[in-house]
Amino acid sequence: MQTGSLPIAQNALKTAFKPVKDVLNWFKSDARHYQILFQLAFLLYGIFALEWDIPIMRVNIVILSCLAVQAAWIQFKTKDWTGLKSALVSAMSICLMMQANSPWTFVLAAALSIGSKFFIRWNGKHIFNPTNFGICVTMMLTGDAWVSPGQWGSDAMLLFAVGLTGLVVLLRVKRLDTAFAFLLTFLGLMFARNILYLGWPVDFFFHQLNAGSLLLFTFFMITDPVQTPVSQKARLIWAVAVGVLAYYMSTKWWSSSLGSFYSAAPIWALFFLSPLVPVLDRFLKGEKFSWSK
Amino acid sequence: MQISKIYPMKRIAILTLAVIIFSTNIGHSFCGFYVAKADVKLFNKTSQVIIAKNGESQTVTMSSDFEGDVKDFAMVVPVPVVLEEKDIRTVSRGLFDKLDTYSSPRLVEYYDENPCYDRLENYNYPMAGAAMDMKMSMKEMSPVDTMGVTVEAQYTIGEYDILILSAKESGGLETWLIQNGYKMPVGAKEVLDPYIKTNMKFFVAKVNLGNYESQGAVPLSPLQITYKSPKFMLPIRLGMANANGVQDLIIYLYSQTGRVETTNYRTALIPTDFKVPLFVQSEFGEFYRDLYNKAWKREGKNVVFLEYAWEVSPMQNLFCDPCVGDPPMVAELKEAGVDWLVSKGQDYHTGGNVYEGHVHFTRMHVTYDREHFPQDLVFQETPNKQTFQGRYILTHPASGDFTCEKGQTYIQDLGKRRWNELYTYQWLTGRDITAHYDYPKEFDTYLNKKGDQGKKQGSMIPSFGSDGPMKEEKNKNSMLVFFMSMLSLAAVFFALSRKRVQIETSK
Repeated sequence: MQTGSLPIAQNALKTAFKPVKDVLNWFKSDARHYQILFQLAFLLYGIFALEWDIPIMRVNIVILSCLAVQAAWIQFKTKDWTGLKSALVSAMSICLMMQANSPWTFVLAAALSIGSKFFIRWNGKHIFNPTNFGICVTMMLTGDAWVSPGQWGSDAMLLFAVGLTGLVVLLRVKRLDTAFAFLLTFLGLMFARNILYLGWPVDFFFHQLNAGSLLLFTFFMITDPVQTPVSQKARLIWAVAVGVLAYYMSTKWWSSSLGSFYSAAPIWALFFLSPLVPVLDRFLKGEKFSWSK
Repeated sequence: MQISKIYPMKRIAILTLAVIIFSTNIGHSFCGFYVAKADVKLFNKTSQVIIAKNGESQTVTMSSDFEGDVKDFAMVVPVPVVLEEKDIRTVSRGLFDKLDTYSSPRLVEYYDENPCYDRLENYNYPMAGAAMDMKMSMKEMSPVDTMGVTVEAQYTIGEYDILILSAKESGGLETWLIQNGYKMPVGAKEVLDPYIKTNMKFFVAKVNLGNYESQGAVPLSPLQITYKSPKFMLPIRLGMANANGVQDLIIYLYSQTGRVETTNYRTALIPTDFKVPLFVQSEFGEFYRDLYNKAWKREGKNVVFLEYAWEVSPMQNLFCDPCVGDPPMVAELKEAGVDWLVSKGQDYHTGGNVYEGHVHFTRMHVTYDREHFPQDLVFQETPNKQTFQGRYILTHPASGDFTCEKGQTYIQDLGKRRWNELYTYQWLTGRDITAHYDYPKEFDTYLNKKGDQGKKQGSMIPSFGSDGPMKEEKNKNSMLVFFMSMLSLAAVFFALSRKRVQIETSK
């Protein structure tokens, strides 16, 4: 029987690959790492492939503002420094979704996003999706911010990437139900109205389905595991409600001095229906979400 | 568990550096002088539309460069409401010419200085006029009341007879239109149902021969309509038909808060701020047409191109930079439908009129067909105040004596730069450059000794050496940007490396 050389070789290999394995284990330990990585990938795609004009300074400002506000809260309240990762996720979302002229608008959006987690709470849980709150309120308050739903285009590879990465994250955080409930409701209503009732040809609907911004909202915004209702039944009800309101806002061409709701209807629908979540949580119980396994 | 921090750090650092390098630019204080502009007429079947938006009130002006017997002219446009007579008018033909000239992509020029001695630079101020020449196919019609089609209103305005129709169903409307001599394109029927069901009316115009003859034989005036509707869109689908091929459309938009963009199609910027070879000057129109077509194909034929965006409020100073033709005056803005400027009397010192109100101008260029544009264009007004223009740069070499050492370096750099310009030209337009291989070698005679002038081996993507005045701000802050980026990286690092701590909670 052979001894000596083979075990030594195996050990050497194990030692060489240990750092890689450590990094992978660290990466897999928190779903937010996936979110941040994917959002970073989309941001780079937008900047380099779609030629978005996002100055590096803006990314810096958003990241630093989000982390600073979160750090203040952690220092004085929770003492759990892993909360900084949630702030990073919010920062990436703001960079991906919101546009504005002035850098101060971004500081405000960051402060409102992270701040809303601490100051607008009910029964130990924040009511609003942080980025959603930050972007909507900034749009309403400043008149300097906007969302461009068309900025993603409808490239097939992008849609595939968004869908796939979204699935990975949602399976981890167990919110696939929310995504599909919203998407099927919203698209189902759109299909029924535009194709069945109005009589547009079917590729009109496919164009709607292929909107990168809709898929990004579905897989990365409405599915915030901390903010969504704790019970699955409640999540389904709520996601359907958001889908219905989003459909209604986009087809009724609602706009006001606050903004044109029709163009970014899902984002506004989520904002207006978030106060419904604590109500649902009161009556339908479930297990509270936590990031670490 | 030991967490290795090296791997994510390096990756992010390299990416940040890459982005910093890309965004650093060598700026000049001038943006060059206008030399030439690209005509609208270089594109096939180009229509032009002006839309001015003031809250829910919109004013839409449609170009009508119809060539042919005016008896054959007819226009059908879906509109959201029944228009009243006061909401319809004709405007001057020159309005579209002015807007096209003001906002079309432009060619500018710089002059190099001879490094061997100081010279005054020669500046040119050539300006060229623009002629418009677009075609839109038209049909004739006459009013008849049947088939669920109601003539809601009937007016004669300028040289036009106008009907506003409403219909109950598409079959009846189609029959009505055909019976009145209007040939419906094959694919148009499929869009009539959605328009009818969303309560759209149909604005139909033909030429009133009596009124027209009294004017003399002049081109038809553009028609302008004003209406109140929350729908901010352009119904391009009615103009499409299965076999008609591709159509070209320029849209000029006036808004109050900032740039207008489409929400259901991506906006692509036309490639801009590139240095191009000198011979482009004699062929700039064709150059831009090829550039645009190549960009259109590259982007997948389903995007809207932005060609110009600028603030044109009367009370601000910079209307264009460089300017091609005169910027729009208040009278022209009003004619185009900008009705929100409030006159505040006269300026005490200059005697000029003072106006309150902001006006933003956006020029979009969309080339569409049935296959790639299944939906009408839907717009939104944004607060985006960033300026944009299509601008291409000629750099004339210096002249004189190049025997000094700096002069020799200059000549070598000139050769390299010209190769760069040539490859840029090839990438932008897709044209063959073999006929122009002499261009980079033109100044070789000034060299004391021969050498390789830096001919690149088929580099297909031009380098980002551009002279955009809009990009100048980034240069000033590059140290700050770098510092902030390093700070962010450190902060991100810190955040990602936090471990969950078991907190003892006491109840």
